[in-house]
Amino acid sequence: MAEHLPQYHSARERGYLLCTDCEKLHSISLEGGHCDRCGARLHSRIPNSLSLSWASLLAAVLLFLPANLLPIMTFKSFGQGEPNTILGGILHLLEQDMLLIGLVVLIASIVVPVLKIIAMTILLCTVQFRLQTNLRQKTIMFRIVEWIGRWSMLDIFVIGILVALVQLGNIAHIEGNDGATAFAVVVLLTMFSALSFDTRLIWDNRKPDLPSGVSDKKDEQ
Amino acid sequence: MHGTPEQLIACHECDLLLERVASQPGEDVICPRCHARLYYTTNNCIERLLALSVAGLILFIPANLFPILSLQVFGQSQSEIILQSAMSLYEGGLPLVALLILLFAVVVPLFQLIALFYISFTLHYRWQGRLLRQAMHSYQHLRGWGMLEIFLLGVLISIIKLKDIADLDIGLGLYSLGALILVITLSSIFFNPHQIWHEIHQHRQQDDTDG
Repeated sequence: MAEHLPQYHSARERGYLLCTDCEKLHSISLEGGHCDRCGARLHSRIPNSLSLSWASLLAAVLLFLPANLLPIMTFKSFGQGEPNTILGGILHLLEQDMLLIGLVVLIASIVVPVLKIIAMTILLCTVQFRLQTNLRQKTIMFRIVEWIGRWSMLDIFVIGILVALVQLGNIAHIEGNDGATAFAVVVLLTMFSALSFDTRLIWDNRKPDLPSGVSDKKDEQ
Repeated sequence: MHGTPEQLIACHECDLLLERVASQPGEDVICPRCHARLYYTTNNCIERLLALSVAGLILFIPANLFPILSLQVFGQSQSEIILQSAMSLYEGGLPLVALLILLFAVVVPLFQLIALFYISFTLHYRWQGRLLRQAMHSYQHLRGWGMLEIFLLGVLISIIKLKDIADLDIGLGLYSLGALILVITLSSIFFNPHQIWHEIHQHRQQDDTDG
């Protein structure tokens, strides 16, 4: 572990800011300027982090409806077949006793996006309403959400592969539908929401008069 | 408060101000407050990245030129390369989805490999690297947007979905894709931003004193 100074202080309180690209420490007076080592723009916190993150999240929630209600692809064989929604496709897999793969698609396409939206809401509320509890757990939750969110693109790739592969004219034919676009944008927006979120804002909530070390002993028990 | 900015470091996840301690190879320096990994030492970081990026660029060719899967039904056959997933969706009227697949499964991984090769080659052979900073920024900002491993899982799911309907052949492209993903994953493990930025800084100072 790195040596921590006698008292917990954020770099910002002590007049420093960290370059987010190369992690060189600068004086806070350089806010808005450029890092002399890597040339990146310097900000103590990501500008408009909270509004950008809320906006992307809200847009994702709204698009989540068409993404799940509109069909994502249609499988046609000898002129027959009907459009499938995300949930329809999963149920179809489960009916055919493909339990494991049905579960994988269920987790990637429904469980992960829903959990990600809930997790981002909790994190944004923490910052918005200056909540003081479980800060470390929330930081860990953010790391998990940030890492796992991209796996939701799985269904989009499956559609792409199936559409390219099953092009046998009348015999069998798969085409993509608009639900796929909505779903891809949902995943993209939740990724933007996590990307614009500055985890340091969670820790800025700490009451300045909190005696150092007290809350940490609590965390470690 | 004691110490100059050089002896201090701030946690990138919780902004805690800390005193810098030396890190031994294989040992991570962890933030005592939020447990984020602050910095660490990678042995032969540049050389490993050079080897891996060369391997990756070579593997990228068969992974994208040879078919991933071939499908046979009633004597008709259809084979697929990665790029075709994007093309078929574009032709099928879903241009945005097609664009995302093209970016996440082809463009971003290729661009990252090129950036990595440029960074490690320039630093290892001490060439004049005018674009070193730009290459580093692009590589760092594109982390997480290359999704070949998710594409591979998509291929496996497609195989299971189609195996009852048609005969499937696994192509050379799929094996190359597997190897490519291994190389890309290793390179992202050995990519040590602190060490590379430090090297770039020294590289630039050397250039300044030389000319």
